Amino acid sequence: MIEVSGLTKRFGRTTAVDNLSFEVRPGRVTGFLGPNGSGKSTSMRCMLALDRADAGTALFDGRPYRSLKNPLFEVGALLDAGYVHPGRSARNHLRAIAMSNGIGSARVDEVMALVGLTDVAKRRVGGYSLGMRQRLGLAAVLLGDPRTVILDEPANGLDPEGIRWIRDVLVHLASQGKTVLVSSHLLSEMAQMADDLVVIGMGQLIETSTVAQFVAAHANQWVRVRSPQIDGIAQQLRDGGAQVTVLDPTGIEVIGATIVDIGELAARRGVALHELSPQQGSLEDAFLQATAKAQEYRGASFANTDAGASAGGTSGPPPPPGQFGSPPPPPVSPPSASPPPGPVAGSPFMPPPMPGSQVGGQ
Amino acid sequence: MLNLVKAEWIKLRSVRVNVVLSCLAAAFPIVIVVLVALLDGNPERQKAENVIGMITGTMVVTALLVGVIGALNLTGEFSHGTIRNTFAATPQRRNVLLAKAFVGFVATVAFALAVAAICYVVGPAIYDSRGASLSFESYHRSALLGIVLLSGLLSLLGFGLGLLIRNSPATVVVFVLWPLLLEGLVALVLNVAGVSNSQKWLPYNSAIQMGDPSPEGDVNRWSGGLYLGAVVTVMIIVGILVNERRDA
Repeated sequence: MIEVSGLTKRFGRTTAVDNLSFEVRPGRVTGFLGPNGSGKSTSMRCMLALDRADAGTALFDGRPYRSLKNPLFEVGALLDAGYVHPGRSARNHLRAIAMSNGIGSARVDEVMALVGLTDVAKRRVGGYSLGMRQRLGLAAVLLGDPRTVILDEPANGLDPEGIRWIRDVLVHLASQGKTVLVSSHLLSEMAQMADDLVVIGMGQLIETSTVAQFVAAHANQWVRVRSPQIDGIAQQLRDGGAQVTVLDPTGIEVIGATIVDIGELAARRGVALHELSPQQGSLEDAFLQATAKAQEYRGASFANTDAGASAGGTSGPPPPPGQFGSPPPPPVSPPSASPPPGPVAGSPFMPPPMPGSQVGGQ
Repeated sequence: MLNLVKAEWIKLRSVRVNVVLSCLAAAFPIVIVVLVALLDGNPERQKAENVIGMITGTMVVTALLVGVIGALNLTGEFSHGTIRNTFAATPQRRNVLLAKAFVGFVATVAFALAVAAICYVVGPAIYDSRGASLSFESYHRSALLGIVLLSGLLSLLGFGLGLLIRNSPATVVVFVLWPLLLEGLVALVLNVAGVSNSQKWLPYNSAIQMGDPSPEGDVNRWSGGLYLGAVVTVMIIVGILVNERRDA
């Protein structure tokens, strides 16, 4: 169990971490998310007493990190795989860390085997790829079989097999009742392995919840409908105030009507449905929505936002939440107009242009 | 604490640059002593004091090189970021730093003792084989012991500078310039200011008397070492206090 309370860290006039409080529960993988420069790594360093916090506490099973006698048995941390001496062999790197906590060489060899580095254990770390260094860092984390694991971007530099492997490792550790806090920019990975989320932006807590709750709260939800007689359904949904996006001659996506509403509507009209499926935005969509105001460093948009418009307007407006039959959403900009600030790139409301498609809304 | 000492020992001996510098530090006095003993035109007229002076003189280079190792042993941790692994594994930073200083000092003294012993055995042996009759006195052996201790103190000086500066190139530059330039400039200023015998106030210049092979060397041998030791101790204490408060 990790309890962070009122954690604050300033660098001169810049407040990197601002009164941050959250809990990380055992037996679950908790994702630590935030845009670049949001204070994730600084928070982790403060938690581990590497940086001196200006205020606040971080407790591991009720104890501050500095009070831990042999922390490798309590907390395993991987902050940066680059924290290695390039002229030292991987085995000696681990032996030195292990010995400081009284852990013998046998365990070093064991964890090297666990992470698959036995064959290169005696090679100098300077010749390691980033992925190999990540594995080495994870080996250091596992040395004392700690109850708590903290990892900062552990999947950086790993190939797909390595990413899956580290996901499996973290999920396995959590299943053993360990407390796992992991930051990552690979949100698709996070969606697959995390149970809970701590989301921060500009050093402040934005939200802490389960992944499912977070996505439900911030990502768009809609219904995809396919039918050979889609036009009638689409029109009736529009009349009822739903927002309809035409995918192709037999498919639409609907905001503002539930799957039950649409199913019953189709039944009343005697229309055959080939697909009626609830859709939801990804964790990435939810993350970008939630942290939109906390993005400190933002590049120019390269999203192809005008493609749909020029091809008939498949790019849609921000989807207003609502129920079928509720007051209709605001008018949608015509296809030729500049696209309004809308759904994030990659959302289902920015599909590839389809000839003859149209934007519904009324 | 014993585990920390073992961990620091692993770190010290598992980096190739330390091994290379150690080889250079050992080779320089040994090679010079052997070559001079072999090539000396009048070996039978050579005096023990000169031979010991040659050993202690060349071992000053050894002492400086091991001082560089002492500095890099710490600053390398900062420059490669491994200090974060180290402090994460042992949050009691003072213990880590004391263990590192202890290991550096003991290893350096043992190393310098071995080098001095080799020189002391090999050099005179060659001279003996070439007809010289060298007679060594206790103050000769004290000079050798003095240069060994100077090596240990310079290792701690490098470590102390590293604690305060935390940057490898800057620390090495300051460490090398300290005896070669800085103390000379200070001595110049003190002389201009009318301070007599200013060298005794300069830690390195004072401590180097530990390697004086002359009969008069015993007079100031240990006081100079104690003075440098006191300076280094203060530097390390300040460095540890500073590092306990700074971000890693």
